[in-house]
This record gives sequence, structure tokens and C-alpha cells, in this order.
Amino acid sequence: MVSVATPRSATRRAMMAVLGAFVIANAGAADAQPVQHMHGTAGAKPARPELGTSAAFAPDDALYAVTKDGQHVLLHRSADEGRNWEAPVVVNAEPEQISADGENRPKLAFDADGAALVSWTRPLAKRFTGEIRFARADDRRHFTAPITVHRDRQEITHRFESLAVTGAGKVVLAWIDKRDLELAQAANRDYRGAAIYAAISDDGGRSFRAERKIADHSCECCRIAITGDTDGLPLLMWRHVFEPNERDHAVVKLGADGAPGQVVRATFDRWRIDACPHHGPSLAVAPDGTRHAVWFNEKGGEGRVFYGRQKDGRVDRQRALGGERAAHADIATAGRRVAIVWKEFDGERTLLRAEVSADGGATFNARALAGTGGASDQPRVIRRGDALFAFWRTENEGMQGYWLE
Amino acid sequence: MKIRHVVATLCWCIAAASGATEFQTLDRVAAARVVNPSSHTMPTIVALWSSECVHCKKNLKLFVEMAKADRGFRLVTVAVEPQVAELGEPLDLLAVPGQRFAYGAESPEALGYALDPKWRGELPRTIFFDGKGGKTAVSGVVTEATVRASLGLQANP
Repeated sequence: MVSVATPRSATRRAMMAVLGAFVIANAGAADAQPVQHMHGTAGAKPARPELGTSAAFAPDDALYAVTKDGQHVLLHRSADEGRNWEAPVVVNAEPEQISADGENRPKLAFDADGAALVSWTRPLAKRFTGEIRFARADDRRHFTAPITVHRDRQEITHRFESLAVTGAGKVVLAWIDKRDLELAQAANRDYRGAAIYAAISDDGGRSFRAERKIADHSCECCRIAITGDTDGLPLLMWRHVFEPNERDHAVVKLGADGAPGQVVRATFDRWRIDACPHHGPSLAVAPDGTRHAVWFNEKGGEGRVFYGRQKDGRVDRQRALGGERAAHADIATAGRRVAIVWKEFDGERTLLRAEVSADGGATFNARALAGTGGASDQPRVIRRGDALFAFWRTENEGMQGYWLE
Repeated sequence: MKIRHVVATLCWCIAAASGATEFQTLDRVAAARVVNPSSHTMPTIVALWSSECVHCKKNLKLFVEMAKADRGFRLVTVAVEPQVAELGEPLDLLAVPGQRFAYGAESPEALGYALDPKWRGELPRTIFFDGKGGKTAVSGVVTEATVRASLGLQANP
């Protein structure tokens, strides 16, 4: 008997062949990667806001904060120290990408005339790339169109910017920049980490001088600390990659023209690792010139947040802050007052904790300020006159503030 | 077998095959299970990574190369950030096999603590299971020798 292949049976045979191939392929995959049932929903997309926020008091004593909402940076104002917030002002009228999570967040400062200065990182299409953006509002309501601060327009890393107004009224923006790494890679040369670049504005942010390199070999993705020295000139502190791969910290002072002085090693924990700590430092200078710093490092096999004073190229009074899970500390000074805040997960909730000194850092009092069961931003200490204020945004409680008396 | 049954089975197979590249949302219960040594009866790598981590690619590339040469271990990846549309791209580019997780709606601190109470957020962080109850966590870029030793596999000659 002659078998006649009909179109239908041919289709069936083809399908069975394909099915067989899939079953075999999947059996192999299952053998190599046995799938366990895990709790949770495959493919669900959690809607979590990016909480990265900066806050500052304006010359009118009102509290301001900048946040991200979709493709806009928003400026918020509170006349009662964070208990109530007015309807926010849109900083960038034209929508664009904005980084506002983890070590990234929009930044806010006020110049001597009370103008609001806002910066942020705009991620570009390629991974790990971005531009530093800046906008200004004389009346703190109507912003100029944002500018890209740097002349270099390659689609490379210009990210993790920090913003400050110096005592001399200059605006400083510093960021992590990979143009030197890109050049080295193109020439098949080794290059540790990334670089720090900075741009100075002499006219309140209306224009910026061409950026200049501050230091080679920074870590790639930790926030940069900027503060004013006693003479008003900017001091920068960042996580550096010392040879061969020690992720400690460095400090440099910029001149009035933005030229960097000598880069000085600021911490000596010798955390040798090829990794992204995602955990930048904070620095504050007291009127007597004492440099108070907080930072995260692994020392003796344990990752801890440390407090210490930088003195003559060494660290004085270094000690761990809080418990094993203290994280993302910030520090500020006001006269003899020194305040440190950090967050700390206790196994169930994330707590906002503080240490406050009224005697220039000779003694500190510890306190717990708040707690949350949800996601939270890194906390900040900001200053109004002689008073210091802890600012913390959480997913559940919103933007809250606490005087550090 | 009816054609419609063949078609349905085919569709299921396609979905299962492509399921390896879909993310499962990680909550605290799933995290505890992923890092419980008794969940792993064969050598397993649980690789924590994120799209912001410039060093993670080096480890993932090594794990993929090792997996191609040696099917004696499993690989599970955990993105320590919420799932967004392009999150899988770095894994797809490297053809990273195995289950993929991404952080769910719980706080990142809670999920990180559930994965590894000693972990402080640095990436890459890799948790190795030897399949016999042994567990080792290592931060940073690792070598093949470290991977093999941590998984309890024989060293390469």
C-alpha cells in the first residue's frame, strides 16, 4: 500500500518534529537549570518612584527640595520646615531623562541673591553615559532653559554631579567623567577607575568656564562631596582608586579659578576590591578649620560607616557609626555644632539616626529620629543659619525634616 | 495527537524556553529561599548585579563561559533593582542562562538583608553554594579559580 502524504499529515509531521526538538532542548535546559518554584510573580513591574532628593534653605528661610517626577525636575517649597509643601515648580519645561536613584539625585543650591540653582544628570541612550545639566531661576519659580555644563559632548560617562556655591559666590559643579578612560581604552592602555572633572561659573550659573580635570582614578559610581573651606574655596572629597585597587578616599581644594591643588589621600582603610560600592562620602569644615568626614569602607573584613577628622594628611578619631548596617551618612557643621545623619536597617524597618555635637565634635549625642517600613532616600543634613536640620524622603512618609538641636 | 494539542504544547514549550529570559519578582520569601543552602542540591551561583554596576559584566561573562564548558553548576541572577523594560539587555547580550530575578516592591534594604545580612550594597556580590550545604559570599570581581573552589568543583588542570 502506498502511503499518500496529504498536506495535513505533512504539517502534523513537521509540527511533531519541531515539538520534539523543543522538548529535547527544554529537557536539556531543565537538566542544566532545574527551575524551582519561587514565591513572587514573574514579569510583574513594581512601580517604585525614584526617591533621590536634595534640600536646602533659601535666604528667605523657606525649605526647598528638588525631586524627579517622570522626565521633569520639580522644585518644592515649604514655609513650615517640611510639614506642608506648596505646589511644585517645574524646572525643565521640556521633558528629558533624569537620574534620581541611589547615589544620583537632582541637586539644589542658592546663590547670594537667592536665585535657585538646580543641577542633575541626564542619562543618554548608551549604558553608563550621561550629561550634566543645570538651570537657574532668579525668582525661584521661572527657570532658564537647562544647559549642558561641559564642552565635551561625547556619549560617555559624565554623571554623579555635585553642586555648590562657594563663599566667594562662584558656582561649582563636579562630576565623574570617563573621557580619559575612553582614551586609554582606545589606545589599549590600562586606566584605573574614572576621573573627576569640574566646571566653575563666575556669574551665578549664567555661564560656565570650560571644565577641567581635577583628578584621575576616581571610583566610578559614588557621589562626590563638596563643601566650602574656611576661606570659602571649595573642597572636594570622593572615593578614589589608589594603586592597585584600594577604594579609599581623596580630597582636593580648588583655587578661585577652579584649578585643583594637590590631591591628598583622606582615608586609609585599604579596601582592595574591584567593585562598585555605590556609597560616597560627606565632608564638612568647622569655622576653626577642622575637617569632619563620614564615609563607608570595608575594614578588617567588615563594611562600616566611619566618622573621622582629616588632619595633616592622616585621619584622627576614626570610629564606626551606628550598627553593622549603618549606611549613607551625611555630615554638616554650623558654628560649634556638628551633626551626622545616616540610615540603618534593623531587620524590619529602616531607621533615621543621628549624632549631634555642640562642642565642635569633642562629644556626640546619639538619637533615633524616624523610621520607615518602605523604601527611602539617603538622608541629608542641611543648615539654616546656626541650626542644622535632618532631611529624609521616604516612599511612605514623603519629605520630612527634623531639627538637630 | 490533535493538531490543536500539538500547537498548544508547542506554544507552551516556546513560552517555557523563553521563560529563562524573563524576570521573576523577588520578595523576601523568594530571597530567603534563593539563598537557603538546602534549596541547592547542586553547585549554584547566585549573582547579584545591577544596571549601574560597571564591574558586574566581568563576573557574568566568566560565569557564562564556565557554564558553556561545564554543566555541573547552575546560575541564578538577581538584579538588585526593580524591573524595567531594558533590564535584561546586559544579560541577553552575554547570553546569561538561568533564572532571573529582579527586586520587587519591598524596600531594597529588606530585600538585601534577606539575601545576605553581611552584604553592604557593593556590586558585584556573588553567593556560591557547593550543593552540599556549603555557602560562601564574595564581593567584587572573581577569578575562575575562586569560582571553582567556592562551588566545590575540581580545579582546571
